Amino acid sequence: MSSTDVAGRDVAESGREGLGSRARSVVRREAAQPGNWVLCAAMLVATLVGAQTSRFFSVDNGKAILVSTGTIGIAALGVTLIMVCGGLVSLAVGETAAVAGMVFLFSLDLGLVAALVAAMAVAAAATALQGAMVGAWQANPIILTIAVASILTAVGARLTSKAAVQPASDAYETLNRTPWGVPVVVFALLGLTVAVQALMTATKVGRYMYAVGENRAAARAAGLPIASTVIVAFAVAGALMAVSGAFSASTSHTITLLGASQLTFNATAAVLAGGTAIFGGFGSAVRTLFGALLIATVTDLLLLRGADLGMQILVKGLLVLLVVLLGHLRTSRVGA
Amino acid sequence: MNGRLQVLRRSTSLLPLLALTVTVVAFACLPAYAGRPLETYDLFNLFEAFAHIGLITLGFGLLLTAGEFDLSIVGIFALSGVIAVKLGQDHPLLGVLAALSVCLAFGALQGLLIAVLRIASMPVTVGTYIALLGLTRVVGDNQTSVTFDNLDTTLWIQEPVATIFSPRSLLVLAVFGLAAVLFSATRWGRELRALGGDRKATRTAGVPVNRRLVALFAVSSLLGGVAGALSSFNAGAAITDPGSAPLTLGAAGALIGGVAVAGGRGNVLGIFAGAMSIVILGQIFFVAGVEEFYSDLVFGLVLLLIVAINAPSAKDWAVRLRAARHPPVSTSSSSTGPRPTTRKQRQDARTHAAATAHPPAHPPPSRGGVPGQPDHLPDR
Repeated sequence: MSSTDVAGRDVAESGREGLGSRARSVVRREAAQPGNWVLCAAMLVATLVGAQTSRFFSVDNGKAILVSTGTIGIAALGVTLIMVCGGLVSLAVGETAAVAGMVFLFSLDLGLVAALVAAMAVAAAATALQGAMVGAWQANPIILTIAVASILTAVGARLTSKAAVQPASDAYETLNRTPWGVPVVVFALLGLTVAVQALMTATKVGRYMYAVGENRAAARAAGLPIASTVIVAFAVAGALMAVSGAFSASTSHTITLLGASQLTFNATAAVLAGGTAIFGGFGSAVRTLFGALLIATVTDLLLLRGADLGMQILVKGLLVLLVVLLGHLRTSRVGA
Repeated sequence: MNGRLQVLRRSTSLLPLLALTVTVVAFACLPAYAGRPLETYDLFNLFEAFAHIGLITLGFGLLLTAGEFDLSIVGIFALSGVIAVKLGQDHPLLGVLAALSVCLAFGALQGLLIAVLRIASMPVTVGTYIALLGLTRVVGDNQTSVTFDNLDTTLWIQEPVATIFSPRSLLVLAVFGLAAVLFSATRWGRELRALGGDRKATRTAGVPVNRRLVALFAVSSLLGGVAGALSSFNAGAAITDPGSAPLTLGAAGALIGGVAVAGGRGNVLGIFAGAMSIVILGQIFFVAGVEEFYSDLVFGLVLLLIVAINAPSAKDWAVRLRAARHPPVSTSSSSTGPRPTTRKQRQDARTHAAATAHPPAHPPPSRGGVPGQPDHLPDR
């Protein structure tokens, strides 16, 4: 409810006072988000800690952060779509990306583009079905994706016979290139961020996503096509998870289901840290871009300072908890 | 007789009963396709497997009945196992006590947070679930497992009692028995369902909602903690990453047990039957030598199916589909005929109503829906 109120006031103000005040009110609105302050503070702390950490400010480390921002961020863009339209979180992000990555590696002999398309199609089909269940039937998305994770784990184990997957050709090396010294995945992330942002704000179905996530009953009463909106959001999300899976398969030249949950945790934490509302109706691709950068930086810092995997997971879990609590306090104060 | 039929017809008791009957029959018929007769140790294994996931299922089920969701129980399961093993090498009881106090404190704190802030438990427990998995690794020195060197305890806890039980499975069954008595003989059972059915009305009726919620989350964590400590003592090692199996099996067991995802429905006996069905299914796969990925697949599909059945709009959707396929022949009496479910039918009904005058004093009652809410507008 809060964001429509704010948006409505924006329109009124900009009509009266012109574009300058509109820009100011956008700034004011963004400044009123405690999530933004948390994000800025976390970035600042990360940079300060980075200054104390040897090897943090180096070209190689910068590149490493960017690569992991890329794989986390692309999957997180998908999670953003799911979250904005009211689908909460998916607990099968890592599994979807891993199985799609397997499809990608298997079909590489058809060429890079065909393999990417195949992986995206498989993942999008799987998530579109989930979208149909969430959109048309209001199935519980968390328990649904727990089931999907189990099914995909089985499918993945079947596909690979639990051995490391061998790429069908080395066409994937294109994805590992670094034109002008910047990894391809970074360009992919930036391009996809712009594309998803455009989808969410400049198209009809994108604006429906916000409406459905904001208030499903109202969207229904208004006659919006809820089911197809949610299906589109989930399908695009699946395709994005597949792209993320293809990139991580290329970086490590293989892919396994081991540690698939890491991507799930990272992507969820990135979207929430960016400030997208967990119950939907508010959020953006650009927010997620910054969230992914933060998560990748924090992971890198913890690694450089000798923190092990357990500490990394712990920090991300606490971050998710903190953001959820802050988001709740904000909305309940506005509501009161 | 009629009353009993009514009870059976309610899906709360029908689904768990049906699932349990089918799986028990399938288990009894195992020799026909497994190629060997059933032995007593198959039953022993069955109860051991039940001891592994039974309490997690109970925790899931109780909280879902109360309209809450506790994902963190799986994180607590892992953490408790590691703490109990690390501190219990010499004095196992001390280790269990330490682990359970941590679980109890965590659960109560989480419950307090959720109750006082009136925040949705699902996102909160997603966060604590991730954090607890991380903490478990930290406490477990980032090893995949922490070995339990106290062999005597491990041998004692899995020693057969009355051929088919062990101290562990007896303890878990006792917890189920205690919970069944507590939640049917006292008012807690009704309060539990009331909490999940209508939180506001429950508060108005004088139930100390916050106290109940704190207690429930504490109990849920305690159940996860007991399960974790017992399982790691039994296996002789604590696994730091429990994987997704406890989550899938626990949720599937609770939902097959007749617990509604939306809350307000469920009882301990049903949850017992649900957990037992899942465990028997797993044992059937095990005895028949089915490969692991098939069992993962089947459990996932079972959970998928049960979530679909539980989805609030799935029934409306099916009704609409059927109505679209078999349009009603007669439109003479709108009060006794089938509810107009497609857009065309509603248009027909409207023109019909307009023609026969007499506007209805009240809108037609919506089936179980909140009055005044448009619960039959189609999602197009």
